[in-house]
Amino acid sequence: MATAIAKKTRKKNTDFRKAILPYLYLLPAFAVMAVIVFYPLIYQLIVSFTDFQTKDLRFGLASPELNFIGFQNYVDILTGSLPVQNFDFLRVLVFNFWWALTNVLLHVPAGVVIAVLLNTQGLWFKKIYRAIFILPVVVPPIVVATVWRNIFDENYGAMNQFLTAAAQFLGSADPVRIRWLTDFTPPIEWLLPTGALTLAYYAMMVANFWLGWPFMTVVATGALQSIPSDLYEAASIDGATGSQQFWRITVPLIRPAMIPAAVYGFTLSFNLFAFVFFMTGGGPARSTEIMVTFAYDLVRNLRLFGAAAAFSVFIFIVALIVFLITNRITRATESYTEA
Amino acid sequence: MASVTFKNVYKRYGDVVAVNNLDIRVEDKEFLVLVGPSGCGKTTALRSLAGLEEISEGEILIGDRVVNDVAPKDRDIAMVFQSYALYPHLSVYDNMAFGLKLRKTPKDEIKRRVDEAADILGIHDLLQRKPRQLSGGQRQRVAVGRAIVREPKVFLFDEPLSNLDAKLRVAMRAEISKLHQRLQTTFIYVTHDQIEAMTMATRIAVINKGILQQLDTPQILYDRPNNLFVAGFIGSPSMNFFPGKLRREGNKLMVDTGDFTVVIPEKFAKPYEAHAGKEIIFGIRPENIHDADFIPPNVDVERVNVKVDVTELMGNEIFLYLVSGKNTFVARVDPRSKLRLGQQAAVAMDMDSIHIFDAATEEAIR
Repeated sequence: MATAIAKKTRKKNTDFRKAILPYLYLLPAFAVMAVIVFYPLIYQLIVSFTDFQTKDLRFGLASPELNFIGFQNYVDILTGSLPVQNFDFLRVLVFNFWWALTNVLLHVPAGVVIAVLLNTQGLWFKKIYRAIFILPVVVPPIVVATVWRNIFDENYGAMNQFLTAAAQFLGSADPVRIRWLTDFTPPIEWLLPTGALTLAYYAMMVANFWLGWPFMTVVATGALQSIPSDLYEAASIDGATGSQQFWRITVPLIRPAMIPAAVYGFTLSFNLFAFVFFMTGGGPARSTEIMVTFAYDLVRNLRLFGAAAAFSVFIFIVALIVFLITNRITRATESYTEA
Repeated sequence: MASVTFKNVYKRYGDVVAVNNLDIRVEDKEFLVLVGPSGCGKTTALRSLAGLEEISEGEILIGDRVVNDVAPKDRDIAMVFQSYALYPHLSVYDNMAFGLKLRKTPKDEIKRRVDEAADILGIHDLLQRKPRQLSGGQRQRVAVGRAIVREPKVFLFDEPLSNLDAKLRVAMRAEISKLHQRLQTTFIYVTHDQIEAMTMATRIAVINKGILQQLDTPQILYDRPNNLFVAGFIGSPSMNFFPGKLRREGNKLMVDTGDFTVVIPEKFAKPYEAHAGKEIIFGIRPENIHDADFIPPNVDVERVNVKVDVTELMGNEIFLYLVSGKNTFVARVDPRSKLRLGQQAAVAMDMDSIHIFDAATEEAIR
């Protein structure tokens, strides 16, 4: 009898140990996450409900002058009541979406097409191309932004020099002086009704294209190489032409890899702080401002910590919604080969 | 329905000759199996016929049409791949309908053909599933179904059973044979498994190192192999070979292996006369070596002293692994045999069923 009870408790103990073991393994990672992710996140959430200013920095949330003002920061942002020039929340939000979306719509197809071309059998120096294409991925965005800002410089930039040379070749004597980053007149006025798409936007698109497509090509190349060649052989016997094979086999089969990459690209572009900040600084007249650069501006110039925190919460919510929706619609995490 | 002809076909990869002067005519409605060891060029030959490889020299004809420069889709063939090559993102129905849709076949015609093929193969319940939800055998059927709906002139099979387990393979073998009888179409089938070849083929082409060794019906291949390679490749367990010499003693012609000597019956001796005194390879199949207590009636036997090294009981027969001097060989004997491990015994070789090959050319002496 006694041994039976002892056995039972021993079994209970091992059951308990088995149940708790996974959590023990997770604990170190969770502890690190708590310090570097959860704590700042919650701290920021609290700050967003206050009128946190420079004077409160010394004592933080314990500051005696700190007032909890409820949702006032959020209301100010949505109604455009922040003490900031040229501020329209909807315009920033729409531009931010437009910026991220147009980038992805450009990078993903370009990345796929280039990957397909590079995947051609018998192509020379394949490995060298692939090594070169990975380079932009590893160059810091600040370097890229600075270089491209110089390229688009009105007086000394390579872009205007190139266009001047091209114009001269076509017979025009006047030097091209396009004010890429400062001209406020939108070249296509109707394109985005909530706010003008200035030349700076197009310049940023060009620069970010240089930054963005190689990653998509790398992902697409990996996905392409995982497609068994006999599928193409079967399709060619079934009667599929090259383009039919591309649309009916390549595209659906790289989709599980490209959709997460596109979602990643979207969120990356959506929050591409360093690049936008150093290339245009959000200008001219805040026309290329995205939410993160704006939030940073609230802190840097206006010292509105509370409002900036509330802004960041908006960014977080928007990014989360975007991610959930795309993941749901596209079943991004679904793989065809998984049993 | 069409015949298929390989006319002096070569396929070279740089210095490697994968297919070497292949010359085969496959008759209409025939079931031809290309068999050979891995890397012998049989799959290359099939892929060349499908149009997936360009040949270096020669002509391939389907019916009377030279198809060297015809695209795979216009050759009117269908192929079943070793890996099945099912489109993972499409349902079984769409996999089977894929080729028909591309050819703009009317919808109801597609449905009719897919349903019919699904009936033949018993996969009606699976039509809405994705390939990943199927077992290996079911995928195999879908791959065959995809070929059937196309109603091609020629079916090509590239080792279609090698990914299946042994039991399923036996079942599918029978089904493919049945399918051939039912469809009455030319089948060309590649395998490295000589049992598949023997059980299904109308004729078998044995290929080694890119060269056609022999093209014959299964029974002739088995009974009268042209050379050492075919003799060793066809049959399981394989034929026993003993290097030796043909020796004449008085009016008797005998094989001397060094460890034992057997006399060739006079009625068969004639073709071998010219090789007397020369190096030969003596071949005999395991089932033609008998336990001395169970010799079938009316056969000429020669007794050979052996030691039993290993016995394998199969129930309906026993495999004996025997040693005679430096030679080890296999006998397939009557299950009542009392021979056991370690015993010394005399086994009887059926001299009516021997094979003798020229040691230098490895060709059969006839």
